Amino acid sequence: MAQSPKQPLIETTDLVKKFGAFTALNGVSLKVYPGEVHALLGDNGAGKSTLIKLLSGVFAPTSGTINVEGKTVSFVSPRNATDAGIGTVYQDLALNPLASVTRNFFLGRELTHFGGPFGLMKMNEMHRIAAEEMAKIGINIADPEQAVGTMSGGQRQTLAIARAIYFGAKVLILDEPTSALGQRQQMEVLKTIRRVQKLGNIAIILITHNEIHARLIADRFTFLSLGEVIGSGTSDDLKGDDIKRLMAGGAEIGDLAKELAV
Amino acid sequence: MNAPVASRQESDRHERKSWLKSLFARPEIGPVGVMLLLFGMLGYFSIPAGEFSLNPFAGEGFNALGIRNNLRVISQLTIIALGAGLLIIAGEFDLSIGSMIGFAGACMAMILRWGFSIVIPYLSFEGGLHIEFFTLIHIPDVSPLGAIGITLCFTLFFGWLQGFIVVKSGLPSFIVTLGGLFFLRGLTEVSLRSFNHRADQVKGATTVTEIPDLKNIINLPGHGEIEREAAKALPEADLLALMKDVPADVIASIAERLAYTYQRVADAKTGIIATKGVKPLERALENAIESGNEFMVTTIRDKIANFSIEPVVPKTVTDADVARAYIDSISSARPVADFFGGDILQPLFDWLYFPIDWNTNNFGNQFASGLYSCVMISLILCMVCYVMLSKTQAGNWIYSTGGNITAAKANGVPTNKVKVCLFIFSAFCATVFAACQVFEVNTADAAKGNLKELEAIAAAVIGGIVMTGGFGTVVGIVVGAFIFGLAKEAFFYIPGIDGSFYRVFLGLVIIASALLNENIRKRIMGAI
Repeated sequence: MAQSPKQPLIETTDLVKKFGAFTALNGVSLKVYPGEVHALLGDNGAGKSTLIKLLSGVFAPTSGTINVEGKTVSFVSPRNATDAGIGTVYQDLALNPLASVTRNFFLGRELTHFGGPFGLMKMNEMHRIAAEEMAKIGINIADPEQAVGTMSGGQRQTLAIARAIYFGAKVLILDEPTSALGQRQQMEVLKTIRRVQKLGNIAIILITHNEIHARLIADRFTFLSLGEVIGSGTSDDLKGDDIKRLMAGGAEIGDLAKELAV
Repeated sequence: MNAPVASRQESDRHERKSWLKSLFARPEIGPVGVMLLLFGMLGYFSIPAGEFSLNPFAGEGFNALGIRNNLRVISQLTIIALGAGLLIIAGEFDLSIGSMIGFAGACMAMILRWGFSIVIPYLSFEGGLHIEFFTLIHIPDVSPLGAIGITLCFTLFFGWLQGFIVVKSGLPSFIVTLGGLFFLRGLTEVSLRSFNHRADQVKGATTVTEIPDLKNIINLPGHGEIEREAAKALPEADLLALMKDVPADVIASIAERLAYTYQRVADAKTGIIATKGVKPLERALENAIESGNEFMVTTIRDKIANFSIEPVVPKTVTDADVARAYIDSISSARPVADFFGGDILQPLFDWLYFPIDWNTNNFGNQFASGLYSCVMISLILCMVCYVMLSKTQAGNWIYSTGGNITAAKANGVPTNKVKVCLFIFSAFCATVFAACQVFEVNTADAAKGNLKELEAIAAAVIGGIVMTGGFGTVVGIVVGAFIFGLAKEAFFYIPGIDGSFYRVFLGLVIIASALLNENIRKRIMGAI
C-alpha cells in the first residue's frame, strides 16, 4: 500500500454543521493523504453527505476548519472548492447523456480559439485530450464523438473522474461510485479508482455503503455515525468484524442478531 | 474460441461507425427523406401537361417565379424556426413568436409612417375625466435603420422579460409565453386603434397603410430622393436630360437588352396569334375526318400547312425607354430597407432570362426579377446559428442546458443566461421576420404572424428537434422549414385535390417526426 507522507492533502478539524436545531455533524476530524483512498463509511443519516458538501463548498461549516495543503480555506461556493483542487464526482455524474464524450469532458470549460462564449472550440484538441485522459485511467474510448448515453455506467464514471482530474482536482471525492451498477461495472470502477490511486499525487475520498468494495480498495477508513467519527484507521488496523461492526453504527453483530430474533 | 474475458474491454463493444452508417444515424435523415419526397411530388406534378401528367399547372413548381415564391415561404419560416428551435434545444418554448411578429411589424410601420414619439399620459379633468397625452419628444422622420433599432429595443426587452420570468420563477415557459402571446397581440391591436384616430387613417383600423415604398427610393441626379415609379413617370425631357451623364456603353447595353426583350415579347405575341389562327382549322379538320369528306380534309390540311401570319413587329427602343430601364438599375438610397425588403440575385435571374431563356413568362417578359432578400437573411442567420450551435462554447452550453440542466449547472454553465439569451434571440428572429415583411409590402397589420409560433415549432420538430431539449441541429431546422414550405406548394399543384390537404399531410409528418425523434433520443439515452 502507498506510504503515508507526513503532510495530509486535506485535513478537517472539528467540523460542526448545524441546520437550525439539528446537528448534522458534530466535530469531525479527518486526514486524507495523497495517493491514498480514504473510505468514508456509515449508515444512512450518518453525516457522510453533509461532510462532502462541506468539503465541496456547497455548505459552509458552522465551526471547525478545513485545511488544503496546510492552508485554511473557506468556501462560499462549489467553484471555490474546485479552484482549491477539490473535485467532486456526484452520483448523477453531472453528464449530459445526449452529448458526446468530448463535449461532456469539457462541459463549461471548453477550449476555444479566442475568448468569450462565441469563440470557436478547438474540437480536435479536445477530442485528443479527452481520449488521452480517459486512457490514463484505463478506458480507451473508440470514438470521442460517441454520445455519453450509449456508454456503460462504468465508462461514465471514468469520464467523470478523468474530467475532475484533468481540471486540477488534487482531492477527488467519489460519492457512492459503485451504487446502481452491475457487478462487472463495479469492478471496472474499482479498477479505475486503483489507477488513480497509483498516480500517487491524488487523494481520494470514497463514500460507500459497500464494505467489500471499501476493503478491496481503501487504505484508510473513517466511520461516521450520527454525525460523529466512531472509528478510524488504516486497513491494517481494522480487522475482521471491526469494519462490519462499525458500518452498522457501532452495534455488535451479536446484538443485532439478538434484536432480529425477537 | 472466445477471447478471455479479462482482455476484452467495454469500449470494444462500441463499434466505430462507417461514414454511411453514421450518415443514417444522423437525426436529419428522416426529414431529408420527406423533403426529397416533396421535391419529387412538386417536380412530378409541375412537369408540363401531356406526356407524363394531366396537370394544368405546367412547370410552375420549379420555374423562376415558382422558385422565387417557394423560397420566400421557406426562408421566412426558417428565420423564426431558428429562434424557436434553438430555444427548444435549450429546453424552453416560445409561443409569443407570432404575436411578436405582429407587434414588431406594427411598431416599425407606425414609426415609419408617423415618426417616433415619447408621450406622457396624464389624467385631465377638463370636460369630464379622461386621459390626455403630453408629447415629450417627437421625431417625425425616422430612417429604416432607426425604426428597426427602436423596434428591437422593445422586442428584445420583451424577450428578455419573458426569459427572466421563466428562469427566476421556474414557471413553465409554455405558460409565460402563452401570456406573452395574448399580451402582445392585444397590445398591438390597442396601439394601432388608438394611433389610427389620426386624420389620415381609417378610424380604429388595425392596419398601417401608405408607408412610402422605402426600398425603391433612389437618388436621382437633379431630382434628389424620389420613388422609382415617380421617377419613371417624369416628363420625357427630364428623362432625356438624365441620360446625358450616363456613359455610352451603359446606354448601349441597356438598349441592347431592351431590344432583346421587345423581340421576345413580339415573338410571343406572334406565337399566340398563330395558335389562335390554326386552332379553328384543326377543329374543322377533325370534323372533316369524322364525316369522311376527303376533299375537305385535303383542303384544310393544305390550309394548315400554308398557314402563315405576319410576325408582330417589336416595339422600337426609345431613349425614354432606356432612361426608364436605367432608373430601374439605380440602387436604392435606403440600403437598410432594401436589405430587408428588396430583391437579391438579379444578375442571376437576368442571366436566366437573357442567355439561357428560362425565366420567361407567357407574354415574353422576364418572369421573376430575383429572389426575395429574406432568402439571404435566413441564409446568414442559418450560418451564424450553425457555427454557434455546433462549433462554439455557447453551442455546447445550449445543448447541455437542454440535455441535463443539473449537469450543466454543476459544471459551471450559466444556464439561466443561456436561456434568457435564447428568449432574446427568438424575439430577434421574430423582429427580423417582421422587418422583411414590412419593407417588402409596405403595410402592417395587427393580425400578421398569426399561428406562426406553431409553424415555427412544427418546422423545428419535423427537422428532428427533440421537444424535451438537448438534441437537434440547425441543418435539421432548415430541412423542417423546407418540408413545411414545400408541402404547402406541392399539394397546391396536385390536380383535383383540395389544397388544404397539405395540413393533413403536415399533421401526419409532425407526429411521425416526433415519434422518430423520441426513438432516436431513447436510443441515445440507452433506454433501447
